[in-house]
Amino acid sequence: MRTIAIRCLWLLVSIFGMVSAASSIPAIEPKDAAGSPSPQLLDSGLHASEVTFEADIQPLLTRFGCNSGPCHGKSRGQNGFALSLLGFDSDFDYDSLVRQARGRRISPASPQLSLLIQKAMGSLPHGGGIRIEAGSKPHQLLSRWIAAGAPRTPADAPQLVRVSVEPPLASLAPEESFALQVTAEYSDGSLRDVTDASAFQSNDNTIAAVSPEGVLQAGPVTGETAVMARYMNHIALCSVTIPLPQEVAPEVYDQLPQAHPVDALVLDKLKLLNMLPSAAADDSTFHRRAYLRVIGRLPTVEETREFLADGAPNKRQTLIAQLLQQPEYGDFWANKWADLLRPNPYHVGIKATLNYDAWIREAFRENMPYDEFVKQLLTSRGSTFRDGETVMFRDRRKPDELTTIVSQLFLGIRLECAKCHHHPFEVYGQSDFYSFAAYFARIGRKGTGISAPISGSEEFIFTADKGDVQHPITNEVLEPRPIFGEAPEIAEGEDRREALAEWLASPENPYFAQTMANRVWTDLMGVGLVEPVDDLRATNPPTNPELLQALGDDFVQSDFNIKKLIRQIVLSKAYAMSTLPQPRNELDTRYYSRKYRQRLRAEVLLDSVVQVTGVPESFSAMAPNAKAKELWTHRIGSLFLDAYGRPDPNQDPPCERTGEPTVVQTLHLMNSENLAQKITSDKGQAAQWGKSEQSPEEIVNEMYLAIYARFPTESELKIALGIYENEGTDRRKVTEDLMWSLMNTPEFTFKD
Amino acid sequence: MPANTTRQHAKRSTYCDGISRRSCLQLGLTTALGASLTDLLSLRSRASESGASLRGPAKSCILVWLDGGPTHYETFDPKPEAPSEVRGEFFPIETKVPGVHFSEHMTRLAGIADKISIVRSIRHNQGNHGAGNHYMMTGAPPRIPVGCGAFVSFHPSLGSVTAHQRGHQNGLPAYFSIPSMSRSGGPNFLGAQYAPFVVPDDPNRDSFRVRDVALPKGLETDRFEHRRELRSTVDSLPRFENQATGDPVLAADEYFQQSYDLMTSKEAQEAFNIQSEADEVRERYGRNSFGQRALLARRLVTAGVPFITLYEGGWDHHRDLFNTCRKRLPEVDNTVATLIEDLEERGMLDETLVVVLGEFGRTPKINKDAGRDHWSNAMSVLMAGAKIPGGTIVGATDRQGYSAVDRVLSPENFASTVYRKLGIDPGQILYTPQGRPSHLVSDPAPIDELMA
Repeated sequence: MRTIAIRCLWLLVSIFGMVSAASSIPAIEPKDAAGSPSPQLLDSGLHASEVTFEADIQPLLTRFGCNSGPCHGKSRGQNGFALSLLGFDSDFDYDSLVRQARGRRISPASPQLSLLIQKAMGSLPHGGGIRIEAGSKPHQLLSRWIAAGAPRTPADAPQLVRVSVEPPLASLAPEESFALQVTAEYSDGSLRDVTDASAFQSNDNTIAAVSPEGVLQAGPVTGETAVMARYMNHIALCSVTIPLPQEVAPEVYDQLPQAHPVDALVLDKLKLLNMLPSAAADDSTFHRRAYLRVIGRLPTVEETREFLADGAPNKRQTLIAQLLQQPEYGDFWANKWADLLRPNPYHVGIKATLNYDAWIREAFRENMPYDEFVKQLLTSRGSTFRDGETVMFRDRRKPDELTTIVSQLFLGIRLECAKCHHHPFEVYGQSDFYSFAAYFARIGRKGTGISAPISGSEEFIFTADKGDVQHPITNEVLEPRPIFGEAPEIAEGEDRREALAEWLASPENPYFAQTMANRVWTDLMGVGLVEPVDDLRATNPPTNPELLQALGDDFVQSDFNIKKLIRQIVLSKAYAMSTLPQPRNELDTRYYSRKYRQRLRAEVLLDSVVQVTGVPESFSAMAPNAKAKELWTHRIGSLFLDAYGRPDPNQDPPCERTGEPTVVQTLHLMNSENLAQKITSDKGQAAQWGKSEQSPEEIVNEMYLAIYARFPTESELKIALGIYENEGTDRRKVTEDLMWSLMNTPEFTFKD
Repeated sequence: MPANTTRQHAKRSTYCDGISRRSCLQLGLTTALGASLTDLLSLRSRASESGASLRGPAKSCILVWLDGGPTHYETFDPKPEAPSEVRGEFFPIETKVPGVHFSEHMTRLAGIADKISIVRSIRHNQGNHGAGNHYMMTGAPPRIPVGCGAFVSFHPSLGSVTAHQRGHQNGLPAYFSIPSMSRSGGPNFLGAQYAPFVVPDDPNRDSFRVRDVALPKGLETDRFEHRRELRSTVDSLPRFENQATGDPVLAADEYFQQSYDLMTSKEAQEAFNIQSEADEVRERYGRNSFGQRALLARRLVTAGVPFITLYEGGWDHHRDLFNTCRKRLPEVDNTVATLIEDLEERGMLDETLVVVLGEFGRTPKINKDAGRDHWSNAMSVLMAGAKIPGGTIVGATDRQGYSAVDRVLSPENFASTVYRKLGIDPGQILYTPQGRPSHLVSDPAPIDELMA
């Protein structure tokens, strides 16, 4: 067994070079001729005259994971020895190493007896095991530093300004490998090769792995990934592309449609990957897709007939314009936003939840500009019983809660980490977090607060004249400050939130427009330019940055008109592509060379079942004939919606919506009593067809139009008519059986 | 709203009405069952080609996951000599094995300590829930840093791999997760057919039924069969067979087949019928959700299900640890002890592996809120059955429970032990749909002390 395992490992290393086996990849010397190292480049410490703390030692603590979250970087440290997470606080770290523990961590008289060295090399028991090999370069650096009396880097020494990785963009052949080089730039303009003291990490090892020494190893598969190099608290990215083998002739690309700006940018990306797009989807597929993705319902039989019969060359444009006027538009998009904003009625009360929901719906119905929507929400004042948007501040009561949700929802920036420590992948620290939180420090609340599980009372939200946020460690009172850029001054007596909203929802704030553009793009295209949709950061780059920027710019240009953004995307050829892959895009799941299939959203599928069967669903706390999209809280019971993955408000933390198919869903559609009754109901569509004067052919045509939004093919029609002609058949039963069968196929439950 | 929920439950209970009709249904279905048997056989033969077929004593594994990271101090690794801010409020108690002590609420397990084994020396470096769950549930660390609340998957889980390697029988899914999916308990690249079947309903309720696994009222078997045939005739959406395209319709197809197998399985219906257990047995397991889920798991093992995860939330005791433990530990202690005894009485313990664990242990120093925080340097894992030598204590933490120091083991060793017990070669290579090879476990060495 063991031999086999070893042999397999060897095979794996030689063929695929996984990161775990990377030590056996021969180290490749950083190349110098081709551009990178400048003449000023210094060597990395070993031969430099003096070894000092900030410049040489602190980077090692990061490189070897000493100050990482699970080890000494944990807020309480490890076994009494605490370091700042990833070295964001040099004073703290120096103090901890040199002064605390009665100075035993460092002994300049005999460096090798220093705890720092003994623990790191495992000669004393160390929870973290052996981190540094005896005699290695890091060992020598540590010894020299301690022997020299553990000097700090002089305060007037050049400061680290930025870190760059060479090359920043790499296009590799499958299996190709080469060494990255990391360079630090200092305030005096000097440069230094810090590859040895950097930590590396690939976002996707299957595309390209990276060894601890920074050697990049392309995998066998086409794709892209970001590889991160971390030196101290700076991060640089190398974006790696592994195109499909064999180039595509430029003429082939030239002939593809690119008049629409979205298509031109999608194509730019495909060219880099040597990929080709799929063919265009046919009219009926486009029609059904547009209904489901723009307004969240199936087209009716009549609507489909009309569209398919229409010979006008611009009928798709006309269709989109019509769809954006449909009443379902507002409910469908509000239902998506309700996932993000909607509070738990047990927490804020039923009436408040209802009001909030109504405000969100109204905003989408009247196509309120998105900046206006966010400004109204953020600066809301008034009664939770009359002004729905104020409920956000009834639901989220503390400045820190509001900070995390506002930054994540509207800027795609996850500040949660910076609440307790410096954000490990971002530039944000605790003062950034709490200065931002200070915008929410002066929100007054009057009336009856939260008294779960009823919480039924009214509360008033107003501008308070007192209230501050303090830094959790220094206790310093923090002035409100945005997490980047400049915000307007806050006038005497003005609500701090006004200034915040001006800054946040400004056309100058690229995060604001791009986050919404990415959300809408994701809903329409099935996969986000950035995934997760609300996690925009340098270390999680978009799959097509130029496209995201163009969509964001466009959105700003249109004065944040959501319908225009939708129209812009939906009228591109990329949106209208077939899902059918071809050899040059089979592997693509994120570059939009084809359309990606998705299961219908829970509410949309349930509404479709109702529309097809003609039997309404009955919801508690809703008017008769209400649609699932119109529910004002996820607490309204529905086994169907639960099975199909709507967010579960009973879980703590609440579960996010899931879009994956499951066995439970399949069983529910097949067997649930509720759906069985909808098909067989005397008042339903199947019964109506059964007793109608229509011919079987007419029934079958209508049924295909109703369920698949297309006509049956000739052979499909023949098969269906065959079952109506069997002897002794009961028309209604046959109709029910056919309806059940069509509804239980993926062509019904998926958006193609 | 609450009233409505109750009504829905009541309504739900009417659509499963006994076994007789389903047995009829099954008789007509030899082809379908035949097909799944063939699949099973071909799976097995593929497995043996790749050298995967080792003999292991266990047919099944019941994995009890205490989500949040259960404390090692207050369960199986008490530290009476530690200073009080580490030692905590509980005292050690003697167990059936001389010299081995558990914490004071583990009374019933202490009484059968000679039948179980505790591994006290697994440690790793993933101190948050998302990452810790991934490491212990898959035997592989997360590839990139993940957040605390993350549900991530970079590698197939123990349960999914078992389903993939062992196949399913009797129409029952090979992998159950009860009452919910665990964070990293999914199939990853193995594909949707190896995802767990989730039973959210509470078997402690009188009205307990596994929903939608039987035909709706008034639909005869023949007619259902006719519909099913008709469905396959009209189903004309093209499928993208290359797995790399990520076509979600392939998963839907797989689920349709699984649903059908489940509906037509007499064994499945029997296993779900927990009401047929004698009251006395149900009492022994504990008349609470966890107790009855454990009993359900035992019934599933009897029906041939190879992997069941019982996913129990609420073990993240950053505050008020002692009071919560006083309440919850006796329940877990009783149920797990009963499960092990019951399996033994039925002669099933030798072929059933029982594991109890969470993502990590908890910090030595009790924090200001009378809780303990996340701590991946030490944890205790209970393993029993599957010919694991009873009474074995593997490894040790230091005198104050800070860190595993003796016989330090990794999550990889743990995962390899589970696989070896189930007859699965942890050293084998699996292939992703893109053709990339992936070691099942990067270090395939099992915990030798448990392999005797």
